[in-house]
Amino acid sequence: MPHLNAAYNLARWLTRNDHDAQDVLQEALMRALRFFDGLRGEARPWLLAIVRNACFSWLEANRPADLVAIDEREQESDAPGPEALAARELDRRKVNAAIAALPVPFREVLVLRELEDLAYRDIARIAGIPIGTVMSRLARARRLLAESLRAIAPPPRLRLHK
Amino acid sequence: MRTEDKTLHAYLDGELDAAASLEFEAQMAANPALRAACERQRELSAAIREKADYHQAPAGLYRPERPAIRNFRLAGAFATVAIVAFALGALVKFPAAGDSLAGEVVASHVRSTLSGRLFDVASADQHTVKPWLSARLAYSPPVADLSNEGFELAGARLDTLDGKPVAVLVYKRRQHVVDVFVRPESGAAGRASFQRDGFNVEGFAQDGMRYWLVSDLNRNELDDFARLLAARR
Repeated sequence: MPHLNAAYNLARWLTRNDHDAQDVLQEALMRALRFFDGLRGEARPWLLAIVRNACFSWLEANRPADLVAIDEREQESDAPGPEALAARELDRRKVNAAIAALPVPFREVLVLRELEDLAYRDIARIAGIPIGTVMSRLARARRLLAESLRAIAPPPRLRLHK
Repeated sequence: MRTEDKTLHAYLDGELDAAASLEFEAQMAANPALRAACERQRELSAAIREKADYHQAPAGLYRPERPAIRNFRLAGAFATVAIVAFALGALVKFPAAGDSLAGEVVASHVRSTLSGRLFDVASADQHTVKPWLSARLAYSPPVADLSNEGFELAGARLDTLDGKPVAVLVYKRRQHVVDVFVRPESGAAGRASFQRDGFNVEGFAQDGMRYWLVSDLNRNELDDFARLLAARR
């Protein structure tokens, strides 16, 4: 069934647990049905926008600490260090934990881009932010993620060739 | 953030137009550090896609027949309507479910035929279908074998009417699907016969059970079918 997994995946990443994701999604789906007349254009971004808003309402009520304001000011990025992150060697658990630890505004754009493969235009629509903000948040989300993964990544090992 | 940074991400995300892409590639060719940064980002992106969990919706969210609390089922039904409509890209409004029982049975019929999920248990054997239903409902609906009369039992599913679980027997006649909703109801006697959205609906009560038949089958044959079902008691 199309879009339901996308909707669930987003809710699950934003609420960070299965039980709450299900509750929020059920409510969001009912809301989606009620506002079905409002559907213009593609269905997936439309549905995801509703789910995203339901998640934010839920976070506001239940996890206000997750919604701390982020500093949107553009930052001079540190040039990434010369040592490359051995991204391919990371384990699943660490990648998941690092994404879950991102502040919500970064987590949502990252999930929408990397896991849903959505265009900036759609992400902007879902998150209710300008495309320029999508770009800067996405760049920062990736940098934060790389930093936290680099911090926990094991030192490079010698590989034995057989 | 430097413009270069944003451009790098836009490039990797396929958001640059052809001219800007070529220009960025030319920049990378002249700047090994930029190329390396780009490669690192590409790796990171690939690692996220490969390793981060993609959470699949649990089955209960869109399988309303699973044993679960009732509003869960209802949500499933809503989800089914919504998702099917999206899949079709339809910008039409579905008949509001719940404005009446008749509207609900027609909506359920449409939903199941559109989604192709006609039944939860597929069997032409009444002795398979009946126990399957009794195991999941607080009542045991009569299941008749009418294959000799040209109505083949195809299976059954569970749905909700009025927020209460209901048995739906699915029969086939030629290319037509007939849904038979059965649930206990006292007092509601009398036959009802009408059309809605091009579907024929027949309702009757028998032995404490209320029946609703919904199909795109013509009115006469559906009426015959209703009489056959009623005569089976």
